[in-house]
Amino acid sequence: MAALTWILSNFWALLVIALVLLVGLRIAWRIHKYGATRAEFSHILRRSPFYIVVLVFCFFAVSPFLIMFLHTFKTDGDLYRRPQPFIFRQEPTIEHLDALFNNTAYLDFIRNSIVVGVAVVIITLVLSLPAAYALARLTGRWGERAGILMFLVYLLPPTLLFIPMFRIVVLLGLKDSPLALIVVYPTFTVPFSMWLLQGFFKAVPPELEEAALVDGYNRVEAFLRVVLPLSLPGIISTVVFTFTLTLHEFIYGLVFIADTRQRTLSVGVPTELILGDVYFWQPLLAAALIIAIPVGLAYNLFLDSLVQGFTMGAVKG
Amino acid sequence: MSLVQISGLKKYFDTVHAVDGVDLEIKQGEFLVILGPSGCGKTTLMRMIAGLEKPSAGQISIGGADVTALPPRKRGVSMVFQSYALYPHMNVFNNIAFPLRAQRREKKFDKRVIREKVEDTARLLEIDMLLDRRPRQLSGGQRQRVAIARAMVTQPAVLLLDEPLSNLDAKLRANARDELKDFQRSSDITAVFVTHDQIEAMGLGDRIVVMSEGKIQQVGTPQQIYDDPANEFVATFLGSPSMNIIASAHHKFGFRPEHFLPKTLNDNPENARIFHYFVKRVEYLGSDRLVYGYVQGHDSHLTLAKVPSNVRVSLDVETDYEFAVHYRDLKFFDQRSGARITRRNPAEAL
Amino acid sequence: MASLALPSFPLDNRRVVGILFLAPALIYILLLVGFPFLLAIAFGFSDVTVGNTDLSFVGLRNFEAVWENDIFRQVFATTIRFTLISQVFILLFANILAIIFTQEFTGKWFARFIFILPWATPVSLAMIGWLWMLDTKYSPIDYLLLQTGFLGPGGHLSNDRNLFWLASPDLAQISVIFVQVWRMTPLATVILMAGLSSIPTDILDQAEVDGSRFMRTLLMIKLPLILPIMVIALLFSMITMFGDMTVVYVLTRGGPVDYTRVLGLYSFQVGIEGGNLAQGAAISLFAFPLLLAMAIFMLRAASRAEVR
Repeated sequence: MAALTWILSNFWALLVIALVLLVGLRIAWRIHKYGATRAEFSHILRRSPFYIVVLVFCFFAVSPFLIMFLHTFKTDGDLYRRPQPFIFRQEPTIEHLDALFNNTAYLDFIRNSIVVGVAVVIITLVLSLPAAYALARLTGRWGERAGILMFLVYLLPPTLLFIPMFRIVVLLGLKDSPLALIVVYPTFTVPFSMWLLQGFFKAVPPELEEAALVDGYNRVEAFLRVVLPLSLPGIISTVVFTFTLTLHEFIYGLVFIADTRQRTLSVGVPTELILGDVYFWQPLLAAALIIAIPVGLAYNLFLDSLVQGFTMGAVKG
Repeated sequence: MSLVQISGLKKYFDTVHAVDGVDLEIKQGEFLVILGPSGCGKTTLMRMIAGLEKPSAGQISIGGADVTALPPRKRGVSMVFQSYALYPHMNVFNNIAFPLRAQRREKKFDKRVIREKVEDTARLLEIDMLLDRRPRQLSGGQRQRVAIARAMVTQPAVLLLDEPLSNLDAKLRANARDELKDFQRSSDITAVFVTHDQIEAMGLGDRIVVMSEGKIQQVGTPQQIYDDPANEFVATFLGSPSMNIIASAHHKFGFRPEHFLPKTLNDNPENARIFHYFVKRVEYLGSDRLVYGYVQGHDSHLTLAKVPSNVRVSLDVETDYEFAVHYRDLKFFDQRSGARITRRNPAEAL
Repeated sequence: MASLALPSFPLDNRRVVGILFLAPALIYILLLVGFPFLLAIAFGFSDVTVGNTDLSFVGLRNFEAVWENDIFRQVFATTIRFTLISQVFILLFANILAIIFTQEFTGKWFARFIFILPWATPVSLAMIGWLWMLDTKYSPIDYLLLQTGFLGPGGHLSNDRNLFWLASPDLAQISVIFVQVWRMTPLATVILMAGLSSIPTDILDQAEVDGSRFMRTLLMIKLPLILPIMVIALLFSMITMFGDMTVVYVLTRGGPVDYTRVLGLYSFQVGIEGGNLAQGAAISLFAFPLLLAMAIFMLRAASRAEVR
């Protein structure tokens, strides 16, 4: 707690020091490696505009998150009475985090999102793994057309379909149940993951499957024993991105589920943590940040794999 | 006079020593072939000459000027890649014009000059009727010509070629090889050609550089490399089938299969070393017979002989013969290092 | 005759396995997308409401009513305007960033993480951050402007202490467009990165040996070669943007007045909040022909621009 207080109170100074230290160390390391020559200094000088551009873009991207982080720990007095958004005039507090987890349905939202996400990922994999393989290898012209159809379906925005979907959900008696989302979300996760997986499957050399066929397996076994294990990294990244798609979804979640305790994160936080006109800003901002960071890390970790799947799907598709 | 001088050149990728101390001089107007198995560092060496890789150590100078730190565009080199790397979205004219336009300002080329140069070069390579085509509309041979035209249009000091023939089918390749050689002779350009194909190397090179494991093994004319290999690697890398190597008490010695002939064919048996040779198998290759068998006392591995088919000697399997190698065709190598050893009196050395 | 019979080794037959593998996904999608889609059309031609769920055919009445509604026309125009303006910036920034992130530089991993955050964060949650950033009274942006003398008495922008980002018509529209650009640039960047990294290195090496510098390589080689993928990126972000209602739902609820109301939000407000399912469906159906035409046009453009 004391450490947190110290970090928060000196946040901007620490940020600047860290940045300067990093830049300094990097330059020192280069000079150590290549020598303090004129060419080296002119190299550093020539590179610096590039880094400045990167920094400017980073600043724009990150600014709301920095504010989220700082404001999570502000007392009401510090936040509202004497608005000074960037520094702490009163001792930082974690009471709002405490309130978020103990006095709101936040944990319910998290649980609902996980339940929905995991169920949707499973349905999506069961449907899209074989379908993507069929598109990548087994089918000819009509398969290609089915693929384009799937792509177009993915592009259909939820705003076009949520009204009839809502009727169907009501008819099925699924209103206010996460089951409604579990049934409906695959309509966009399946086309998405099929497209991605198709790219990963195409990256597996066909000779390996042919070898399996010659070795006495049938096509289905060749798929299960050769193609699936070899595309495992791609499948994992597909799982990650499918899960986050369900986490992002807002409209269906908003329309299908009115019961607070059954809502998912993306709907629950902005609708249920605001009472009428009263915004509980610190818990709201904290709730957003707590989700943003892990998802951002997951995206960054799996980004190369996503790019690769996308390239294969687009270039050879 | 040497145009390119390379000294102490090294390139490390992490712990891998791709090029490990190369000294080389390339003469004005020569066709130099860098030959070696894949992974020997030949492509890395070429990419360093081009300026695409920064050396870890060493120096490169072209035309007397140190170019080690210069980017490719300041070196006066041009390059033909294995894939030809034609810009797929440009037609042939724009492909060839691209390097001229890129250097338009420094060299003061205007539109008219560019057009003239492109058309002249295209005519030289007989692709002037293809100028409006896109690369994908061209055959493999035509693509290669376009790539060479694009490399030649700036009149570079050195033309670098990275296995440019390996994408052509066998029939086209022989033809393209002849044309390339003729073209280089007539234009008097300095060419550096990287390949793993020894037939290409022997056919094209004024001199050949044999590389292995990042080091130069030998530099010489095709004949020197073949007849007078500097070490065991060069001796066995060149020639097909490769040189027989036999270990004796103090050293190894080797001889080429075509020099290993039945004793009866030898006019001067006193100058030849005689071996007892047990024939296991004979392959008929048309002009030659390839004989597999064991030399007495060295039956741990097969020794090959290549006997011309028109020589009337019958060779039966599972039979002992006497074969002979002329002393001058015996090469001696150090047991450990594989370096070539000269023996004043080969007869005694055995 | 023989062709009708099941092949003797069905699991070895490409066609059989292909159909078997593709069928479940295809059926699921057709049922859960195709059926609602038809239902949407049926709704559009009926008088269904949340209270009265019979579908009685009323012809084009809903569409006529919607089309003659001034609010709808304004909403439609706003949606198109927002979409087009934001794409210009998204494409510009995405190109710059894709070029940056396909190079090696110190701190790339961290920069990329920061840069991906706006896209990785669930839209509705990210909007909470912006809701505060653009708050009428406490906006940190206003605070900075106040401190630098742009706001407050004698300020360059306004004498007021606040700009009222989401409460004044112009600023609200600018804010919505800015936020959309902020959150969708990363996706377009990632797609363009895929394009850039699929350019063969030989081509780029060749350009370098040919004497081409950074800008020439970029303009003459890289950008023309990723043109098809750029079209795909544009298609993705245009359709996402066109169908989005989350941003305005959280930030402005369409206000002030109707200035930031977009098609999706309007259809939600009429159909669900107002209970008039038929009109809501009719509103969103207006988007469909436009989206379809856009998708077909751009996919064709992409495949035509592709150089093989």
